[in-house]
Amino acid sequence: MIRSRVRTAGALALATVATLLLPACGAGSRTPQATAAQVPCEFPAPPQPVSVNVLAYNSSAVDPFTNTMVKSCTKNGLTVNHEPIDFAGQVQKTTATLAGPTGTYDILENYGFVVPTQAADGKIRPLDDLVAKYGAQYGLDQISPAMRKVMTYDGKLYALPMQAQMYVMAYRKDVFDQLGLKPPTTFAELRDVAGKIQAAGQIKYPIALPLLASSDIITAYDSALGSLGVDFVDAQTKQPNFDEPQAAQAFEELRSLLPFMDPQVATFDQPAVQQQMYNGSAAISIMFSGRMSDLTQAKNNRFAQQTAFAAPPSVAGGEALYNTLSVDGWSIPANTKADPELLFNLIAASVGPESSKAAVPAAYPAREGSVTADSSPYAAAALESIGKAPAAEPYPWTSRISNEIRPVVADVILGKTPIAEGQAKMQQLANGVLAQYP
Amino acid sequence: MSATLERTPVVTTPGTGRPPRRRWTARRYFVGGILVLVCWAMLSPIIWTAMSVTKPTDVAFLNPPVFFYEPSLQAFVDLWETTQFYQYLINTLVVAVISTVVALVIGLPAAYALARMPGWISAVLLIAALVFRALPRFAVVLPMYDLSRALGVYDTTFAVAAALVAINQPFSIWLLRNFFAEIPKEIDEAAMVDGCSRWQTLVRVIIPLMGPGVLTAGIFMFLFAFQEYLTANILTDISARTVPVFIATQLGQTLPMLQQAGAAAMLLTLPVVAFAFVAQRYLVAGLNAGSVKG
Amino acid sequence: MRRREFLGFVTPSVLVMAGLLVLPLYQTIVWSLQRVNYGEAGEYVGFANYATALADPRFGQAVLFTVQLTVVVVIALIIFGYLLAVLVNSLGRSKPFVLGVLLVSYVVPHVVGGAMFSWLFNSNFGGVLNYAISSVLGTDILWFADAWPNRVMVALNTLWFMIPFAMLVILAGLQSVPEEILEAARIDGAPTWRVHWHVIIPSVRGVLGFVAIISIMDVLRTFDQLVALSPQAVQLGNESVMLYVFNVAFQDGGQQLGLGSAVNVLLIAIIAVMLYPFIRGIAREARHA
Repeated sequence: MIRSRVRTAGALALATVATLLLPACGAGSRTPQATAAQVPCEFPAPPQPVSVNVLAYNSSAVDPFTNTMVKSCTKNGLTVNHEPIDFAGQVQKTTATLAGPTGTYDILENYGFVVPTQAADGKIRPLDDLVAKYGAQYGLDQISPAMRKVMTYDGKLYALPMQAQMYVMAYRKDVFDQLGLKPPTTFAELRDVAGKIQAAGQIKYPIALPLLASSDIITAYDSALGSLGVDFVDAQTKQPNFDEPQAAQAFEELRSLLPFMDPQVATFDQPAVQQQMYNGSAAISIMFSGRMSDLTQAKNNRFAQQTAFAAPPSVAGGEALYNTLSVDGWSIPANTKADPELLFNLIAASVGPESSKAAVPAAYPAREGSVTADSSPYAAAALESIGKAPAAEPYPWTSRISNEIRPVVADVILGKTPIAEGQAKMQQLANGVLAQYP
Repeated sequence: MSATLERTPVVTTPGTGRPPRRRWTARRYFVGGILVLVCWAMLSPIIWTAMSVTKPTDVAFLNPPVFFYEPSLQAFVDLWETTQFYQYLINTLVVAVISTVVALVIGLPAAYALARMPGWISAVLLIAALVFRALPRFAVVLPMYDLSRALGVYDTTFAVAAALVAINQPFSIWLLRNFFAEIPKEIDEAAMVDGCSRWQTLVRVIIPLMGPGVLTAGIFMFLFAFQEYLTANILTDISARTVPVFIATQLGQTLPMLQQAGAAAMLLTLPVVAFAFVAQRYLVAGLNAGSVKG
Repeated sequence: MRRREFLGFVTPSVLVMAGLLVLPLYQTIVWSLQRVNYGEAGEYVGFANYATALADPRFGQAVLFTVQLTVVVVIALIIFGYLLAVLVNSLGRSKPFVLGVLLVSYVVPHVVGGAMFSWLFNSNFGGVLNYAISSVLGTDILWFADAWPNRVMVALNTLWFMIPFAMLVILAGLQSVPEEILEAARIDGAPTWRVHWHVIIPSVRGVLGFVAIISIMDVLRTFDQLVALSPQAVQLGNESVMLYVFNVAFQDGGQQLGLGSAVNVLLIAIIAVMLYPFIRGIAREARHA
């Protein structure tokens, strides 16, 4: 008995040691960085070995840019570090690293929605001098002016755009064809189509939207409001628009989709909506374009061949679609200890012509002309969608108001708070934020 | 073992000497049946995860679920090769081992002293330790975040291990103190008559006497450190990430990363399961030694 | 033991706890009186943060949820932990094996265990248990979107990873019940349940108290498992106090470190109140030990 225990313990110890020695056998040998595209990344070797940390969430659209940067710029005594993280993690780590006199990260993946807030607080560094110096070398004049504008605050550029993300609608072509349906162009048509799919009996909840109550739901509301032609805040008068009739209409329209959506839809982030499509639980989904390429991969999705794409519908038939244009780009934190010129070389290389080309079809690069209608199964839909997105609100208060009103928006969409009461609360919260921006 | 059976009332018919054999067997089957059910229920989340990660990726999380499939270990291979999982595992082990060893080295003498010195100082220290055991993590970890940044140790395994030594110190002191209390004071006195100093008495006589107790406390410390998520999440970014933090950041991902997160969960679970089988003896023995008479 | 020796032995441990527990705790209290962001100097605001927290219905709900969860889970832990310990104690040679199996849920990190649990229940990720239950009931239970099913799931998960510890401790207690007492009860011809109720349970009272004290501490600090199990916690009223702190002090843009710290202090007060009866007993025991 005792001897057998000793033997067990010995075998266990041996197994542990063996496991620890195993890395020789391929641990981390196929990291995405190792298999990414190699692009030109030129910079003078720093006097001492330098380590640069990059914060960027993983998705099939962001990964190509991150991975190319890590792979191509780790040289000349420079090590570029990136660890996998999901979007919620990136948001949390961004707040933490930008606070205080030092931070962990030297390069941030950033998006237009939060850039003005961070810029106004002096948390990130303007890039204009560096663009002027290195623009020609990396062909930065080819980066879309419209996207640069989204990343501009107070006349200065605070993030170098890498790609745009806009809503795209993915739908099951086989289901649509079988029932003789066409992709909806308004919410009324969307309800109609969803009703018919529901009535056909195969799919109980045909629509899947990312409405996660702690995150995505505010983007959905913003998109609906934008499609009705209204901004969160009137930039001229600095008055919130939540007391306008469209603010109520946006709620009503979103709530009108609830019977066609999974009852647990307010727990769905974008990966959960992707899973709905993989499972065949939903026939129509609307998400950011960066999530679309996953749906075309037969490795993840048994319905990859049957999935088709279109621009999202408009809420009430107006010109602007149920859509948000989100521009992703690279920012340099103001509290980094690394040399900004060196960092800029890295981010410029990552949005250079070669890496932008390599990022298609997973992403919609900011470099002009990267995407054409036949770049990917969803490229045509993306091109149409980007042309009809409501204008962004590049103001420092936008993201802060969003954070403040998000729980109220969730309560109203979930039917816990009457629309009028929710509007009043949102108006009050927004006024509170605006009061801090005289 | 048979002694245990006999003295336990559940399996004994009251009033008779030796229970009739058939009745005993029926009870035994009943108890066995319930325990099999309980074990199965307790293992079901792990079994189901193991199934999900060995399925082909496109049906891994399919609804309604797939029950029959050709198992594959590809998710494990992908996890191993496409992420730095190995590094996270090493970080986790380093944190767990360092914090366990340090917690014991500073906890043993303190616990010994508390067991041997009655009076108000001991009482105050023990109560303080109990209150510290109950502190919400954020109340200490958020300031530690600031502190570790100021000291320049943020994002190191050292910082996480140091935090865990402190956080787990109260529990280890309590546990060890009760072990020491079980050992008669006369032994100390005998050792000191023989010319040992206090320190020598502790190291050469008392600690060897409570061998399994030290092991029990060590196992608890190791498990706490191995599992810790919140502290590691707040005190690390890039260079000291541990496996629980890695898995948590992967839960908001889509396929195939989500399946790899499941694979990571299995890889983290299997060694500790093996560990649990070896350790259960010491945990019971250790707790049995009067450690919980509180 | 001489006083100098005593001090020499306890000092390292006391220093570690003072430096890494008391000092941070002090910082938390200071922050709770400030409006402050990470890494910046705060601005003294008196008890405004406490007033904000106490006036926030979300905080009230978080306290209610956390205390309810604690009461339910701790009672269930003691009852089921006891029953399980009695069953395991009656085992023969299979005991080590069964114990090994039962300990598995205890050694899995809670955030990972929460994720595994969510995959059993989440219809979107092929939740097999949810599938079985809805097949039997013919209707879907909204484990993640309905307050009560979500609470049941969270409580089950908490029970799942805490019951091994309760079982283990009670088992250890059962093994030290003196043989003579059991023998005497048996000769009286008392039925099994009476032997348990009148003889065994009273003699393991201390052990049950220990389980209660540790479990109360741990469940009051519930956080990890909610990350995976309750994505809609705020809307369902299933936010634990710790999750509330995380949401206001660390989550997206939430920089209300002062408010978070005030809630931490309030949580400490709640824990102290719930543990008071136990602490008094221990204080008495420690002085006379």
